[in-house]
Amino acid sequence: MTAIRDLSVWLGGRPSVEAPSKGARRLIRVTYVLSGVALVLLVALFATSFWLFERNQQATVSLLQAREQRGALFRLMLSVQAAESGQRGYLLTGNTSYLDPYRSALEHVNDRLQAVHRLYASEEVARSGLDDLITQKLAELSSTIALCDAGNRAEAMAVVLDGHGQRTMDRLRDQVEAMVATADEDISNSVRTQTAVAQSTRLFTAVSAALILGAAVGAVLMILRYLRELIATRSALEVANVSLEDRVKERTSDLYRANEEIQRFAYIVSHDLRSPLVNIMGFTSELETSLADLASLSADPGLLKLEAGSDGKRAIDKDIPEAIDFIRRSTIKMDGLIKAILQLSREGQRVLVPQRIDLGELLDSISAGVQHRLNETDGEIVIRRPLGVIEADRLALEQIFGNLIDNAIKYRRPSVPPRIVVREEAARFGEVTIAVEDNGRGIAREDLERVFDLFRRAGAQDQAGEGIGLAHVRSLARRLGGDVSVTSEVGAGTVFRVRLSRRVRPERKDEPR
Amino acid sequence: MNHGKPVRIVMVEDDDGHARLIERNVRRAGVNNEIIHVANGTDALAVLFGPDGSGTASVGKHLLVLLDLNLPDMSGIGILEKLKANAHTKRIPVVVLTTTDDAREIQRCYDLGANVYVTKPVDYENFANAIRQLGLFFSVMQVPETL
Repeated sequence: MTAIRDLSVWLGGRPSVEAPSKGARRLIRVTYVLSGVALVLLVALFATSFWLFERNQQATVSLLQAREQRGALFRLMLSVQAAESGQRGYLLTGNTSYLDPYRSALEHVNDRLQAVHRLYASEEVARSGLDDLITQKLAELSSTIALCDAGNRAEAMAVVLDGHGQRTMDRLRDQVEAMVATADEDISNSVRTQTAVAQSTRLFTAVSAALILGAAVGAVLMILRYLRELIATRSALEVANVSLEDRVKERTSDLYRANEEIQRFAYIVSHDLRSPLVNIMGFTSELETSLADLASLSADPGLLKLEAGSDGKRAIDKDIPEAIDFIRRSTIKMDGLIKAILQLSREGQRVLVPQRIDLGELLDSISAGVQHRLNETDGEIVIRRPLGVIEADRLALEQIFGNLIDNAIKYRRPSVPPRIVVREEAARFGEVTIAVEDNGRGIAREDLERVFDLFRRAGAQDQAGEGIGLAHVRSLARRLGGDVSVTSEVGAGTVFRVRLSRRVRPERKDEPR
Repeated sequence: MNHGKPVRIVMVEDDDGHARLIERNVRRAGVNNEIIHVANGTDALAVLFGPDGSGTASVGKHLLVLLDLNLPDMSGIGILEKLKANAHTKRIPVVVLTTTDDAREIQRCYDLGANVYVTKPVDYENFANAIRQLGLFFSVMQVPETL
């Protein structure tokens, strides 16, 4: 019942172990989605920032250009006006000192016109007609100054008064003012654009900051949740582990106990059975001693003279000895069986001592031990190499192979000299299989498994034995981490295959055996 | 043994057959001393310590105890313990004759002051042989007087 209760705890514990894994899958999905969204946001953020920066840059460039255009136009106009002022002063006064500003202005006009050209597209300048107007104006100025220099001042004044120069100047002024107005408009446009871009940048920064913050908080929350689940899973796993270990320990100790009980039972039974048997055998001996005393009586011819003399003589000479003989034989047999149980239980209590054993060496020494019996029957034993080296208990191996080889000699066919072959066969990894093959009388198919049972023997019961040899072999092979199996053909021979682990883990004192 | 002085053997053995066989084989070894057979622990304590349990009942006697450990009513080890703890009975030689050959049990008995520990052989031939030898041993050993 304890085991079942534990099992339910174990089963009850399992869903809590599995649930987080389902949660973890969802968590991973959510994490992927969040990461994807964060990535897209980041890319959008970069793209938008770049775009805003570009727009700001454009606005700044056009602002600077408009301001330069404005400055260049003013400077050009200033030079043209300075030239005209110098001309007017000279014409009115005839004083050549007025010609100085005129000349210096003339020097600048061309440079400043070129500056305007650089700042505007060429077709724009052509459309404005600035070049023509300036050329006309400068031509008017230089022609009047030339007339005045020639002493023809009145004629020069007439040209001025004609108003042609004045009109050219007005048209020039209007044109420049129009261009300045355009530049002004450009400036204010650029400033508006810049303001708008700044506004957008502020808004966008706020929004993206909020989004990034949200993503970060989400990620942190996710990680925290995941950690919590991880910790929960781990502790659930630990609990499951501990309960599993406990269960294994419990079962193992149950097994130890059961095994120990069986061992003790076998020991006690054999001891307790033996006690009355000692009495039976003892008193049978006593009876024999008494019978010896009676024998002299039976030899006395006077006995037959008695009424019951002949019956008494028969009892002394035949009946009693026969009865004693039967009792003796039965008790000897029973004694053998009890001894066998006792031996098995003792063997079972022996602790195996693993050591490195060269199987070839071990089998050689066993075969040397049976050599004289083989010589008697013309038999032979072949230990076929190569044979491995394994780690096992020497005594157990000696008993296993000693028993098998002994059986092979014992159960030979009467007419055929025994031939025994011991060889290593293909085995699973970490194991060796040793086959002991004979050409003996064989075992009938229906007896194949029975031969390993305690006190069971197969075939003609013409050999001494209790029927414990193979039972012992099997129990030893199993303790060494292997087993023994048999194939046989009646009248042809038998092969016993002993499977052994290459390494025997050392047994603990309280382990089941 | 102890020629002239009556040494009595107290045999504590629950199996009557064993007791008889032991007696016969001891006799065969030439030991003719009185053998008092008790079949359980209670009787054994009564014989050794007297009805009052003080042990004074044994004073002045020459006793030798042949003790089986597996008794129906108490453990032979308990009797051994009591014998060796009592001032009057502590010198009585105790021969433990039992079926157990457990090493710890043997150690325990010697620790408690047993003088000899013999494992009952499990087959009759050896059993008879062992008892006869034990009888021979009894015939030469000295038993002190109980004070």
